Amino acid sequence: MDKRRLTYIALAAAGVLTLTGFLLAFFVATPAQTIATLSTGGGRLFGGVFVSHPIDFGQKIFYFHVPVAITSFAVFFFTAYFGARFLITRDPAYDVKARIAAEVTLIFVLLTMLTGDLWTRWAWGVWWVWEPRLTTYFILTLLVVAYFVLRASVDDDERRAVYAAVFGIIAFIDAPISFAITRLVPSELHPVVIGVPGGLDGTQLAAFLIAMFGMLAFGFVIYQLRWREERVKERIEALKSALED
Amino acid sequence: MPSAPATAAKARPARKLSWRQFRAILRKDIVMELRTFEMLTSMGLYTLLTLAIYAIALSASGNGFDVRLIAAGLLWLAFIFTSMLGLNRSLVHEKDQGCLEALLLSPVDRPVIFFAKAVGNLIFLLIVQVFTVPLFFLMFLSSHAIGGQFWMIPLSLLVGAVGVAGVGTLLATISVNTRGRDFILAVLFVPLMYPLLLAAVGATSAGVLGGQSYVADFWRDMALAGGYDVIMLLAAYGLYEFVIGA
Repeated sequence: MDKRRLTYIALAAAGVLTLTGFLLAFFVATPAQTIATLSTGGGRLFGGVFVSHPIDFGQKIFYFHVPVAITSFAVFFFTAYFGARFLITRDPAYDVKARIAAEVTLIFVLLTMLTGDLWTRWAWGVWWVWEPRLTTYFILTLLVVAYFVLRASVDDDERRAVYAAVFGIIAFIDAPISFAITRLVPSELHPVVIGVPGGLDGTQLAAFLIAMFGMLAFGFVIYQLRWREERVKERIEALKSALED
Repeated sequence: MPSAPATAAKARPARKLSWRQFRAILRKDIVMELRTFEMLTSMGLYTLLTLAIYAIALSASGNGFDVRLIAAGLLWLAFIFTSMLGLNRSLVHEKDQGCLEALLLSPVDRPVIFFAKAVGNLIFLLIVQVFTVPLFFLMFLSSHAIGGQFWMIPLSLLVGAVGVAGVGTLLATISVNTRGRDFILAVLFVPLMYPLLLAAVGATSAGVLGGQSYVADFWRDMALAGGYDVIMLLAAYGLYEFVIGA
């Protein structure tokens, strides 16, 4: 089975890459310095020693938070993609695939919220701010949850699949608009690092990219395993009904 | 089916026909509303109740509080809740009286149904707005002067209402066929509307508050809201066929 081997390879790659990314992030990547002290010129006391530019350990979460966020969005694309495929072909398999992709999206969206929140507490000293980018992720969570609420409230299989596909597509169109509008509304709080000159140096970028590909591989593996589980479940149901007849 | 080769001549009556179908569906909605006044009374009353709740919410804020700071948000809040009520109603009618099935049986193009329903909803939303905005100003802003220009407020409300009616019609058609209709509508509607609401509240706020560079802010937010309208209406228009056929 080719798909199965691919899944195992992806699983190994995901493990190796995220572990490497983790180690690189802490031991190789250039540590970031606390921006607040750089701008104010002051320092901080660490164990009785005055440090003028203390290392910003909170920044390390960047190597996980951002890859997880990117993965959540990448997987969300497949919810919409399989939804569109379903609407074109009316093949129920695509509906299952879209649902599984939405499940994986939910996992990664919740992880993004969790890691982001830890950082918010560390860097800004609060658990939650209604800062535009946080708000959009909150909205994205609501959209993914709404997808499942919608599925749960329709009894007819065909109709549920169509509604879920339509909502998945329109939610996926809506999400980038949310991100764009919140980027255009000026915000001072959330750091924008990618696409800014001088944002990341070589070692930081390497750690980030390796962690990102690891996370993407993880998303793929979870999706594949869930999909296989669904197929096995289907086969068991078919066997059961065959036995009864 | 006559197989006349004159396709160019046929295309024109077809367009005329869909225009007539559009008007027929729209007229049906308006006539039905004029006979019962069910949607407008329920939406209008709901708005009044919301305004009463605002009075309660603001009752402890004292005289020093400048309501203008949150006026745009309050206005949109009343509007969003009322529109959810109205959108739900407009399709519950269709569903419960079997009108939707009759519409689907009739040889009407699905996009025509979408636009007719959406325009009907837009008209009702605008009627409620026309009634709400002066009342809101009378009740909450009569002692304050507007910082911006007044025309900005109705214009931003109109651009917002277009998106609300368009996407709302699609979502109401979905939610009317689910268990727990109005709840599902709210769950789907609010997160999808977030970007539009953010931009529209910004634009209305620029009109109410004024201040530095409020004209530029207003047009930026209006452009964002307009962009959302265009993209989401196209998406809703493309997807409506699947929804109504399911």
